[in-house]
Amino acid sequence: MSLRAALESQPGRRYIMFGGKGGLGKTTLSATTAFWLAGQGKRVLLFSVDPQASLSDIFQRDIFGKGPVPIMENLWAQEVDADRRIKDYQEEIRKKILDMYGFDKVPEEIDNYIQAASAEPAMEESAIFDAVVDIIVQGDYDYYIYDLVPLGHALYYLSMAKVYDEWINKITKLREDMGQYDQVAATMRRQETVEEDRILGELNYIKDRINASSRILTDRARTAFFFVVVPEEMIILDTRKAASLFAKFDVPISGYIVNRVLPPDLDRGNIPVYLRNRIAMQRKYLDEIRAIFGEDVRAYVPEMERDVTGLPMIERLARRLFVDNGAGVSPPGGDLR
Amino acid sequence: MKKKGGLLGIFKDIVNGMASHEMTRHAVRTRASMEHLFILITMGDLLGVPILPPYYSLRLLPYVTPQIAGWKRRMLRERDITDVLG
Repeated sequence: MSLRAALESQPGRRYIMFGGKGGLGKTTLSATTAFWLAGQGKRVLLFSVDPQASLSDIFQRDIFGKGPVPIMENLWAQEVDADRRIKDYQEEIRKKILDMYGFDKVPEEIDNYIQAASAEPAMEESAIFDAVVDIIVQGDYDYYIYDLVPLGHALYYLSMAKVYDEWINKITKLREDMGQYDQVAATMRRQETVEEDRILGELNYIKDRINASSRILTDRARTAFFFVVVPEEMIILDTRKAASLFAKFDVPISGYIVNRVLPPDLDRGNIPVYLRNRIAMQRKYLDEIRAIFGEDVRAYVPEMERDVTGLPMIERLARRLFVDNGAGVSPPGGDLR
Repeated sequence: MKKKGGLLGIFKDIVNGMASHEMTRHAVRTRASMEHLFILITMGDLLGVPILPPYYSLRLLPYVTPQIAGWKRRMLRERDITDVLG
């Protein structure tokens, strides 16, 4: 089944993720897919949380930290600025404390804690996590295309959803138990009402968001996850490993996309030995990919003669990927073998 | 002021105090211990005990701000054998 058929046969899969090791072309494929879907009249949001995000590069304009930026009709792109988000968030917390207690300034000890919390490495991760939750729970686009950070991070992100889920369930339970003791004390003192627990309210809010996002990301009916691979030994090995880890987190893997396939007509006439060897090596690994991933390969994407940046180049790649090769999946020029 | 109701009220209070004061105290104390446990879990970083995830901890911080000082005192105070006996 081709990538196009995979998307068309499962229109309910509105959350599309591209994952893979760094530098294999996740951004290129995300942008190309987003471009094609937008061309089909779908409203598409393409987003990335990578601090070294490359959506700005591929669209050749600065969109970092600017929210969803319109790129063309039906297509928006967004790069999350985690640092900015953390700073705004800290300010929001300070303001809330001042408002709640009518302080002139935040108590020093509390303020130190707010500052220290942002220095923790886990802060950035959880801020990014929350940013993604924000984006995907809105649900007002037809498609959400997530240009994932490299594999390790992606895996960390997905495992976080699980850990947070358990964490929040436990403390919500503790908070509820506390409420019961409040109730007991109030009853025995013959007080009418117990003050509503605002912390429990906050916990439930956090819980709903985390649950919603991990439900979406592991829902086969709504989410498709594509691995990007290139015909190289290390990449094939790592991808297999990653695929089995992802499967543990119930991520619905929808197929593999083989990128950077050398054009077959390169192998004609007198070519340098170096190039001949590279081509021979690629054929070997393409065979391996066919043997390992077989029917799950959704596309073979040719190595383009120049960088894929700017809309005209994305359009060219989209045409090759979704129109010329839309019906079936064949290695570029079936005569490669 | 209705004298009869007042007397009855006082009587009620006395009975109630005899019967349930201890239970109420227990409930309130347990509640306080749980509050401290809760703050430890969510704000552990304040004592150098990092507990995930800081982004959501901060969300709860405004609500526990008044309790932080008392909680830290309780967590960090020295303990001896009388604590166990008490």
